[in-house]
Amino acid sequence: MQDRRLKYVLILPAALLVLGTTIWPLAVSLVTSFRDWRLTRSLTPGPFIGPEHYVTALTDDPDFANALQVTASFVAIDVALTVVCALGLALLLRRAGVLHSLTRAVLILPFAVSPALVGISFRFMFNAEMGVFTWLAGAVVPWLQGYVWLADPVAALLVLVFSDAWRWVPYMTLVVLGGLSALPKEPEEAARIDCASEWQVFRDVTLPALMPVLAVVAILKTVFALKMFDQVVTLTGGGPGQSTVTLAYLVYSIAFRWYDMGYASAVAWILTAMLVFLAVWYMKLILRKPGGA
Amino acid sequence: MADVSLRNLTKAWGGFTAVRDQSLEIRDGEFMVLLGPSGCGKTTTMRMIAGLEEPTAGDILIGGQRVNDLPPRDRDIAMVFQSYGLYPHMTVEDNIGYPLKLRGIKGAERAAQVRAAAAKVELEPLLHRRPKELSGGQRQRVALARAIVRRPTVFLMDEPLSNLDAKLRVSTRAEIKHLQHELGVTTVYVTHDQIEAMTLAHRVAVMQGGEIRQLDTPEVIYDRPADLFVAGFIGSPPMNLVDGDHADGRFTAAGGFHATTGVARHGGRAVLGVRPEDVTVGPAGSGDLDASIYAVELTGDAVLVTVQAGAARIIAKADRAWRAEIGSTVALRLDASRLHLFDAASTKRLQPE
Repeated sequence: MQDRRLKYVLILPAALLVLGTTIWPLAVSLVTSFRDWRLTRSLTPGPFIGPEHYVTALTDDPDFANALQVTASFVAIDVALTVVCALGLALLLRRAGVLHSLTRAVLILPFAVSPALVGISFRFMFNAEMGVFTWLAGAVVPWLQGYVWLADPVAALLVLVFSDAWRWVPYMTLVVLGGLSALPKEPEEAARIDCASEWQVFRDVTLPALMPVLAVVAILKTVFALKMFDQVVTLTGGGPGQSTVTLAYLVYSIAFRWYDMGYASAVAWILTAMLVFLAVWYMKLILRKPGGA
Repeated sequence: MADVSLRNLTKAWGGFTAVRDQSLEIRDGEFMVLLGPSGCGKTTTMRMIAGLEEPTAGDILIGGQRVNDLPPRDRDIAMVFQSYGLYPHMTVEDNIGYPLKLRGIKGAERAAQVRAAAAKVELEPLLHRRPKELSGGQRQRVALARAIVRRPTVFLMDEPLSNLDAKLRVSTRAEIKHLQHELGVTTVYVTHDQIEAMTLAHRVAVMQGGEIRQLDTPEVIYDRPADLFVAGFIGSPPMNLVDGDHADGRFTAAGGFHATTGVARHGGRAVLGVRPEDVTVGPAGSGDLDASIYAVELTGDAVLVTVQAGAARIIAKADRAWRAEIGSTVALRLDASRLHLFDAASTKRLQPE
């Protein structure tokens, strides 16, 4: 009996911490999402209004529709770019060698930079007058000389994608490298002997074997891309116009600029629902028994 | 079909030399087994023939053409791997058909060739399964079918039986031998298992430390091992090897062990070798020397008798009905025509006149 009680005592601090910092706020925000609560009018939550916020968001809010569309574009381009670049880099770094291992070690550095800082750095690098990227792009393509990247809605979104891919690609490369190193060598060698070119070996043998790892990378990246916030704040501020307002940034704006806590909670919960769906899919994928892939 | 020749082939990684200045002529249609303990360079040699490793020095010729600079796909070889090397996401049919697909053979013709190859290894009912749904033996047969489907000039087999259980190994071994005989394709087969080498090979190259220690037919390798390494490596239980002195055709060892060798020219430190089946045990006093029994082991088809003869322990293979108490004294008779004498310093075989 003593032992049985002891294990609950030992787990209590961690349980309280999770309860206090995650479960409780989640529960409060869920309740809040069904209430009318504008901080400009009252410091205490207002009356329950049912699912009205959800209905508004999904049917009658151009800001929400815009943010959803921006987020979808951002996620699609960001995930595709990250997976393709990570796969390419991992294939290049796969071979053994001093230079390869050194590169693999250095590769993790971008991931150590805080995302907010990444945003600030990229804002400077894409500055129209003194940005190094602006200068580089101008040097390569003359008509891009002095181009104000962050003033164009499409270009601004691409710069946002670029900054996020810069941060994530190295880390995902390491994940893909891990997957590659776990692959048995023999099928690839067998294919080479069976007369496959290097491209055919990749397409017919390596890529299919790597699909489970790439799926994990894609889902993980989708989850993180859906939550895109830091770089929006520090790099584009959601602009120009609303062209880079992601869902997470919209939640922040509704809550802490327009002080509509009820509506912000509802939008946050729509985002959370998407994330939970992806997280469950992800867990199913990685918990699948080995050999079932 | 073609002959394969290796000329002064060397492979080194940094300071480590895996294969050292190796030359080997493999005849057209021959079944050549590279035999040796792990790390002897046999797999590296095969991988160089396949084009999966680049030689540091030397030449590889297939059918008289130098292939050093050709990628594996241009060498017209097929290889069977130790852990099969099947494509896990493809069905058995697609696995076998993949080499044909890469050669642009399509539709009905491909299906027919795949079916013919599958029939040779009795895989027809399993064509629509995936590798993970097959047993080890079935997987290895898929690998074999994939190798034979396109009629290469050379087969390379890298320990194809070592992942199979003992029973399956025996039957698959016979299948490989039959297939090679039927197709008549030049085959290079790598193994550390001397039984596989003895049973399959036309000729065996026994390797150690990156070098070929002896290259000959299984009979000669068994009956006249070229040096101590080959003598000790081939045979199960292994050849008895006794350290001692040799002079005037007579071998003596510490503790009274002695034998007549018939090698007159040699004198000095030597090692006497005798296979367990060439040692007969009988009643005390009836043989060349008396010794006490150290252990008696029944293996089923024979009794292995270990005796203490002076400082040496000798294993004799006796009839399976033979019985004796541990500690009792028996006589040993060594078959004088089947004694092996090796020089202790050079480890080379000394031939009787």
